Amino acid sequence: MMLGAFEDSELEPNEMQEVAFHLARCESCTGILADYSTLGRDLRSITAEPSLAGFSSAVIARVDRLPMPVFTRIARALRRQLDSVGAGLAWGGAAVAVAVVTIILMTPYAEHFANRAPQSTVLAKAEPNPAAATNPVVDAAANEPTMADNDSHADISRLESENRSVAVWSEPRRDTTVIWLPDQP
Amino acid sequence: MTRRSCSLTFLIVAISAFGMPGLLNAQSSPKQVNVYIDSVMAADTNEGTDPRLGPMDQKLRGLFGFSTYSLIGHNEGETDCGKMIAFTLPGGKILHVQPRAIDGDMIAMEIVLFDGTRPMMTTDLKLKNNGTLIVGGPRYEQGMMIISIGASTGGSPPIQAQATPAEATNR
Repeated sequence: MMLGAFEDSELEPNEMQEVAFHLARCESCTGILADYSTLGRDLRSITAEPSLAGFSSAVIARVDRLPMPVFTRIARALRRQLDSVGAGLAWGGAAVAVAVVTIILMTPYAEHFANRAPQSTVLAKAEPNPAAATNPVVDAAANEPTMADNDSHADISRLESENRSVAVWSEPRRDTTVIWLPDQP
Repeated sequence: MTRRSCSLTFLIVAISAFGMPGLLNAQSSPKQVNVYIDSVMAADTNEGTDPRLGPMDQKLRGLFGFSTYSLIGHNEGETDCGKMIAFTLPGGKILHVQPRAIDGDMIAMEIVLFDGTRPMMTTDLKLKNNGTLIVGGPRYEQGMMIISIGASTGGSPPIQAQATPAEATNR
């Protein structure tokens, strides 16, 4: 009774060992086992295996034809929209970054052309002090350099002096900027 | 547009933006700067204006209210951007002028005025080509000293005193 299972290797190890010992002593069972083996081989040889060509695609197509739940359809549509919006945002961000970098890098051009303009750009200038015309020794507090006038011909970015009464003013009509350092008492 | 072509476009834009300003500067910016220094003594002694001051007379009278202007020294020199040029002025003053860059019609420079070895004033500025910076105030003899500093990259020099060759000194 156990020969069929032995042939198919379906017995437990101890049972396999027991049947194997028995077969070694019993010619009848050995013949029956040989018949089982022959029968199994013959059956396997006459069975036609079905062709699997196109099987997976057919299964997928059938799955696709199955009605999709509403929530799944909404989720897929949202995901597609998010993908397209995300790509758009990425492109937009890249374009903005390129524009910003270009503007920063192109600033020297702007300065270059601005400096070619007839009216030079002024960054530091002090208004002429009428008092200076009669008394050049003026207080710096009354002539603090300003950064707003566009008619000066000098742009003073740094001015250091031990003298606390430095005055700065500009005379655009004479292309002249004056730094006045009155002698300290 | 593929990612590769996008990167290539960005690279070209970046290289153009980096490279062209330097190219423009190399083509259009002269590197030599002429520096003109006039030292003038101003006082209220009613002696009038030194005729050697020439067109500077009107400029000085427009800026200040002194009754006497006298030319006490004239210096001029030529230097390259980045190289300092030193002038010895009357009254123990020393003037260092270092052009740093020429940016369009402006000359960027550093100017340091010494009284002997003591720095009186240090300034970084951009002076218009052929423009003038006047540094004044230090006491000199019976008046005050006015130092006119002009710079140009060529062509007509800024308004300056008409000093005779004997009075003009280089550096």
